[in-house]
Amino acid sequence: MSSKAHSSNNIANARRTVQQLRIEASIERIKVSKACADLMSYCSEHARSDPLLMGIPASDNPFKDKKPCTIL
Amino acid sequence: VQRSPLIPEMATQEVQLNETLAHLKTESETLKSKLEEERAKLHDVELHQVAEKVEGLGQFVMKTRRTLKGHGNKVLCMDWCKDKRRIVSSSQDGKVIVWDAFTTNKEHAVTMPCTWVMACAYAPSGCAVACGGLDNKCSVYPLSLDKNENLAAKKKSVAMHTNYLSACSFTNSDMQILTSSGDGTCALWDVESGQLLQSFHGHAADVLCLDLAPSETGNTFVSGGCDKKANVWDMRSGQCIQSFETHESDINSVRYYPSGDAFASGSDDATCRLYDLRADREVAIYSKESIIFGVSSVDFSLSGRLLFGGYNDYTINVWDVLKGTRVSILFGHENRVSTLRVSPDGTAFSTGSWDHTLRVCDDCYFFIGIKYNQNLCTFNFTPCAPDKPPLSLTATHLPKYSNLKKHIYRST
Repeated sequence: MSSKAHSSNNIANARRTVQQLRIEASIERIKVSKACADLMSYCSEHARSDPLLMGIPASDNPFKDKKPCTIL
Repeated sequence: VQRSPLIPEMATQEVQLNETLAHLKTESETLKSKLEEERAKLHDVELHQVAEKVEGLGQFVMKTRRTLKGHGNKVLCMDWCKDKRRIVSSSQDGKVIVWDAFTTNKEHAVTMPCTWVMACAYAPSGCAVACGGLDNKCSVYPLSLDKNENLAAKKKSVAMHTNYLSACSFTNSDMQILTSSGDGTCALWDVESGQLLQSFHGHAADVLCLDLAPSETGNTFVSGGCDKKANVWDMRSGQCIQSFETHESDINSVRYYPSGDAFASGSDDATCRLYDLRADREVAIYSKESIIFGVSSVDFSLSGRLLFGGYNDYTINVWDVLKGTRVSILFGHENRVSTLRVSPDGTAFSTGSWDHTLRVCDDCYFFIGIKYNQNLCTFNFTPCAPDKPPLSLTATHLPKYSNLKKHIYRST
């Protein structure tokens, strides 16, 4: 590649990077505290219906054996 | 003699080009600093600090319920069917198998023309599977009800990349597939025609993983790559709208938080991280000094409270997403865990490993204290963990009552 074409390539890449950064810099952001509060409220709203979190009765879980407990 | 007037002209042009390049580079640096500044302004607290008032989870015990044996080599990828019982898995030996996870029976098997089938996905209808790998393609196989039919005969070649296929996913219908590749790009394809609908350029190296945003949150997806970046893309325009670069090595897995407002990533740097999309930054890191092997795959439980990670040290670590602590560790695989997905109804999770097997696991938990209810003829167990529901069982489900008092019980 001639050095002129090489430079144009570099310029095209640099222009793309600048355009991309402009887009990323311009987005609207919210505070981390607000974002985290929302994540937490989603968790608590849906906790009751999360089987891996709460556990479900053996009869409702097709993967569990019928005999539901062992003594340790 | 005729050349000399041209040389000064070219030299001037080259100087001009170099000035523009330098100018663009400066602007680039300025924008990057501005981006960091803007993000830092809103960084008023860490997630685990906000979550201090949330009740802790205690420890979980995870148990393997099913082991799926049949692959002749490393399992590389798996996906659940929406019916919550079927699983498709793909392997290094070129085989793609569809299993009934309840019975462990194999329902379909296809041999691909290539080895290292690194990607597979179930169609939303449950009527087809997609897969690909070193063949640089993504192919769709309609699943026949006739067990004798040769699935390979109906194979449809959909995607064509210029390097290996690392991941694939149907969108919310059987009509479109999203792919990621070692060629550094992602692409959206029409299944029927094989036409390229949109391509996504921006990663500087192999793209290793992708995940579609939950359908309620619109047309975006996230991808992770060997360039240590996680990029969020607008599916319609092909534009990269957000980019995160805090991992110290390849990102092997990305998964959206169930609300669509955040996503988790797993990396060769042995950490999982949580990025919030509206705060536009990393908000949590899940790591321990004792964990030094890479994370191959991550997925959330239904509520988003638990994050499951499959690791190259053969274990699965389960994290409390809010508090940042580990709540469980599961052993069982005899080689790297390469793929992990929670089932569509959240009752179990499945893992695939280089030990040639897949496992389906869920949690069991401990009880303490037992009371007999004479009216209902049931035994009532109080769970150890305060957030677990109590268990009530009739005598037919129990060993002799006299042995049970004052013991700690584990639900099977």
